[in-house]
Amino acid sequence: MLILSRKPGESIVIDGRIVVTIVRLEGEMVKVGIEAAREVPVHRQEVYEEIQRNNKEALTENRPQIPRFLAKRSAPAQLKPALR
Amino acid sequence: MITAEMTETETTQTEGRDIIRLPFGLLGFEHVKQFVLLANPAEAPFMWFQMLDDAKQAFLVAPPSSLVSDYQPDISDDEAGFLELADPADAFLLNIVTLRGNGQATVNLKGPVVINRRTLIGKQVILNNAAQYSLHHPLTAW
Repeated sequence: MLILSRKPGESIVIDGRIVVTIVRLEGEMVKVGIEAAREVPVHRQEVYEEIQRNNKEALTENRPQIPRFLAKRSAPAQLKPALR
Repeated sequence: MITAEMTETETTQTEGRDIIRLPFGLLGFEHVKQFVLLANPAEAPFMWFQMLDDAKQAFLVAPPSSLVSDYQPDISDDEAGFLELADPADAFLLNIVTLRGNGQATVNLKGPVVINRRTLIGKQVILNNAAQYSLHHPLTAW
């Protein structure tokens, strides 16, 4: 891993086309800005990795039998309330 | 006796089916860029999102509206722009279901596959509001 020290307001350029800027420090958090072409996917690593892992778990071979599921009940499966 | 050798034309499994293109593949499967969607009425609302180049490999998927209510996926403007979704009605969502055995299954609500129904171009999108949804939302067996 390449390790560089930057102060808030300073930036790093990756591959000549992706710019990572340290925006500011907020206590223990570092606010990071990323400029890249919109085709370049940018994600928080842990979310990316957990979805990647889930995709691999989900992949099936030879389309197995699906257990009988009810799509929606008359009282539909509620998601936990959205944070507003 | 001369026997004429007959070769049968192999029917591709994708005959008459639309190919859905994912320019970025799926997370962890970035090299797999073409899929077909197989829908057997007996399995509705579930469908198989099958790799075009390997018919043995497929993901079990379903539209989120068929599995949960009040799903409000927040897709970033950049993602919507990339998929050319001028109209939200152009977006067709499929969420990936994991079969867990014993009649259990979970669905990934954090990262749906978003497809433009006009262009058939899609992408697995990590929602802006992914934090409020589960990666392993349980589906109950009937």
